[in-house]
Amino acid sequence: MKNSTPPFVAHSFRTTEGNKTGSWRFLRPRYDEKTAPCAAACPAGEDIARIEMLTSQGLFKEAWETILMENPLPAVCGRVCLRPCESRCNRREFDEAIAIRAIERFLADTASRDELKPSLERFASRKQRIAVVGAGPSGLAAAFFLSRLGYGCDLFESAPEPGGVLRYGIPSYRLPAAILAAEIEQVAGSGFRLYCEKPVTKALFEQIGNDYDAVFLGCGRSRSVGLLIEGEEPGEVEDGFEFLRRINRGESPAFSNAQVAIIGGGNTAVDAARTVLRLGGKPVLIYRRRREDMPAFEEEISMALEEGVRLLELWTPLRMERKEGRYLLTLQQMRAFDTAPGQKSRVEPAEPRSTMELSVIHILKAVGLEAAEEWQNPPENSEKILRLSDSVLVRSPSIVIHGGDLASRIRSVSHAVASGKEAAIALDILFQKGPDEVLPGLESCRVGNGPALSLEMYMRGPRCARNPHVVVFDEINRDHFQFAARLVQPRLLAEERSRGFAEIDLRISAGLAMKEAERCFNCGLCNQCDNCRLYCPDLAVVRQTDSSARSIDYDYCKGCGICVVECPRNAMSLEKESAPRAQR
Amino acid sequence: MQLELPDRDYMFPGHVACPGCGAAVAMRFLLKALGEKTVMVIPACCWSIIAGAYPQSTLKIPVLHTAFETGGAVASGVRAALDMRGDTQTTVVAWAGDGGTFDIGFQALSGAVERNEDFIYVCYDNEAYMNTGIQRSSSTPYGAWTTTTPGRDWKKMRKKNIVEALVAHRIPYAATASIAYPEDLFRKVAKAKAIKGARFLHIFASCPTGWRIPSEISVKIARMAVQTNIFPLYEVEDGLRYTINFFPKGYLVKEYFRLQGRFKHLSEQDLDQIQTMVEEDWKLLRHKAGMS
Ligand SMILES: Cc1ncc(C[n+]2csc(CCOP(=O)(O)OP(=O)(O)O)c2C)c(N)n1
Ligand code: SF4
Ligand code: SF4
Ligand SMILES: [Mg+2]
Repeated sequence: MKNSTPPFVAHSFRTTEGNKTGSWRFLRPRYDEKTAPCAAACPAGEDIARIEMLTSQGLFKEAWETILMENPLPAVCGRVCLRPCESRCNRREFDEAIAIRAIERFLADTASRDELKPSLERFASRKQRIAVVGAGPSGLAAAFFLSRLGYGCDLFESAPEPGGVLRYGIPSYRLPAAILAAEIEQVAGSGFRLYCEKPVTKALFEQIGNDYDAVFLGCGRSRSVGLLIEGEEPGEVEDGFEFLRRINRGESPAFSNAQVAIIGGGNTAVDAARTVLRLGGKPVLIYRRRREDMPAFEEEISMALEEGVRLLELWTPLRMERKEGRYLLTLQQMRAFDTAPGQKSRVEPAEPRSTMELSVIHILKAVGLEAAEEWQNPPENSEKILRLSDSVLVRSPSIVIHGGDLASRIRSVSHAVASGKEAAIALDILFQKGPDEVLPGLESCRVGNGPALSLEMYMRGPRCARNPHVVVFDEINRDHFQFAARLVQPRLLAEERSRGFAEIDLRISAGLAMKEAERCFNCGLCNQCDNCRLYCPDLAVVRQTDSSARSIDYDYCKGCGICVVECPRNAMSLEKESAPRAQR
Repeated sequence: MQLELPDRDYMFPGHVACPGCGAAVAMRFLLKALGEKTVMVIPACCWSIIAGAYPQSTLKIPVLHTAFETGGAVASGVRAALDMRGDTQTTVVAWAGDGGTFDIGFQALSGAVERNEDFIYVCYDNEAYMNTGIQRSSSTPYGAWTTTTPGRDWKKMRKKNIVEALVAHRIPYAATASIAYPEDLFRKVAKAKAIKGARFLHIFASCPTGWRIPSEISVKIARMAVQTNIFPLYEVEDGLRYTINFFPKGYLVKEYFRLQGRFKHLSEQDLDQIQTMVEEDWKLLRHKAGMS
């Protein structure tokens, strides 16, 4: 055995790296981040997939800054937004939508508690100065975005405190005044100057039109729509919005268990009813259509009913009389027709006619608002006006942008933010590139298929490279996800709620927020899961040593496409190989 | 969200597997889990080619290419040689295809397991003799087209249950695994590595070329085989203790078959029959795992 020669065995001594198997490829995978449906649905165009990713990693400040990039009011929107994002969330088709709004609120509250200061990108100073009229959500947003685009801004507010409809039109059980005040202070840190108790009259408006390079008008709507009931003296019936404003200013009328009628079906009507309840009255909400037709948020309606608000659907006031210090309200029953699912029904008096009488001590009407003064409304079409998605740009005699509730498609806080952003970007384009560039310039920073605009994209930030394609549910590789129940928002009990004005929705813990954010598919966004690298049969996906980004080594990638299919979130694409082959 | 898997690879790019080869993924995973102190014996199969033509080798560990039928015997010899040198640290692995395992290499494997030789035998199963042009093996599933079961003569026999054959030897450890479940695969390799004596891993490894599937769904199809119960993930200790590792949510086999060219001739009735067969097998497995 000792001296025997081992048999000759051929012995390989070279690796296979010399085989440039990339030359086999006829399909080419590439990293291709896309747009999440939630982001495209968010009026403010927030980069929600990224916000959720950062939150799930515990990077709360970065997540909060990612919101602020597009929306200066997360503590507000995290409470009162109607969350169009959640209704488009891809996770809905899997189990339940991500609680995007609750996470937004968590991030804003955490930042405020920790007294964080955001570091947000801004452009160098511009010479133009802009006046913003109205410190409601659209005015605040316009001033915030204009400041970040480098403009000096003066913000004029007629009330003693800023916030507009947020301060005076939303009850504190939904939006506590202290939260709002802290957020506005944070927003003001972006550099504009705020002047309260400075009402802008028509004369002053004309003057600032000359003094400033442009004026943003975000005065909102505050005048009640007439609509007299038979027997009503003009000005006799209080408007719901006016009523909420009184309460938010500190009044607390006692209703001592008496019935109060509230006419209307929007959020103001529901808020007024719930406020009456908290002041000890017995609110009766009267709406001419069906409950499902009410424009108020469904969740708010059901909470109102839980608390004890009485709802009379399909009733409308016919006339009112005064009787022994009370009002006798005669209601007529209505019948709904044209009741296609998902659409507002139409109504007509029920046959046979039926009426009922209601004795109340107070009547509130919340059937709509209009601009306080006619000049605040955007002018009718003319050559010099440009109708944008949520604002109207007028260039003559001076540059004025009508925004917020005066010009938005939908009257909501997030649409007001959208309006302020649109106005800021439009003015920047107008000043820097001229009027013809406004529309194409706005187009170039739409999120997905629009209409939301992204400031990050406008400022050419890193996420502006994302593909406008909106990721659909079927493009998510669900094999990589497990069912997980949605966060249950902790709330005060109905009994606790009706006793006072304490905020109903309670805080969630950091742990809960992270757990909820982790449910997010991160549609279209690479979250560094590494699946593409893991499954590559050819070791052709390489991770950079300096960062966590990946790249494809086309010397070896055979174009099998496994990485693209196994990417759970459609952050890659597979295309026909077109470029001439690098190697043979 | 990243899986906790070892980062290092023991494979070079530039190997010559077809695009989307499941067997290449299987090897990557196996070696990640085993690490450097591994010697591998590869009897004739696709991997004899994938590893590179002489003088190339794509693996960063020593490999012995051997004759088709000899995986079990050569691995026994390599183990004995290492033992003689006092090396008990190095893991010996036989890495063979389904043809080399279920068919021609079966006697060598059976003998080695009967002797309880101390190595890990891995069969990467692509369900036919792929290297020589898609001939049927005893691992080819019922219903499949191959070049030796063409046209209407598609395979009408069941796939051999190789794990059961080894369990009959009272092998210390036998397990199935899939390239689509890397964590499960890694755990099983690590577990096998720690056990002394004969160990058998049956890794399901898709073959886009032979199965007539687009390469990009290669991993997905392997996952579907598990999701549909066609290839259940389970392990057996000492030939007695069965553990089922994955309980699918009731996907239909149809979905799996529909995506593959090798099954495209099957009628609805054939598919219903296959569904019944799969359910029978699953029931039997549950029974063995003490679950019925
Ligand atoms: C004794 C002998 N018969 C036939 C062959 C030819 N041959 C080489 S590889 C192979 C098929 C191997 O099939 P399998 O083990 O399933 O591996 P795969 O190629 O499918 O990966 C055959 C028949 C051989 N090498 N030796
Ligand atoms: S899963 Fe996440 S990224 Fe996708 S739509 Fe929902 S919130 Fe947006
Ligand atoms: S698989 Fe993961 S790491 Fe790769 S692109 Fe998709 S999200 Fe990013
Ligand atoms: Mg084979």
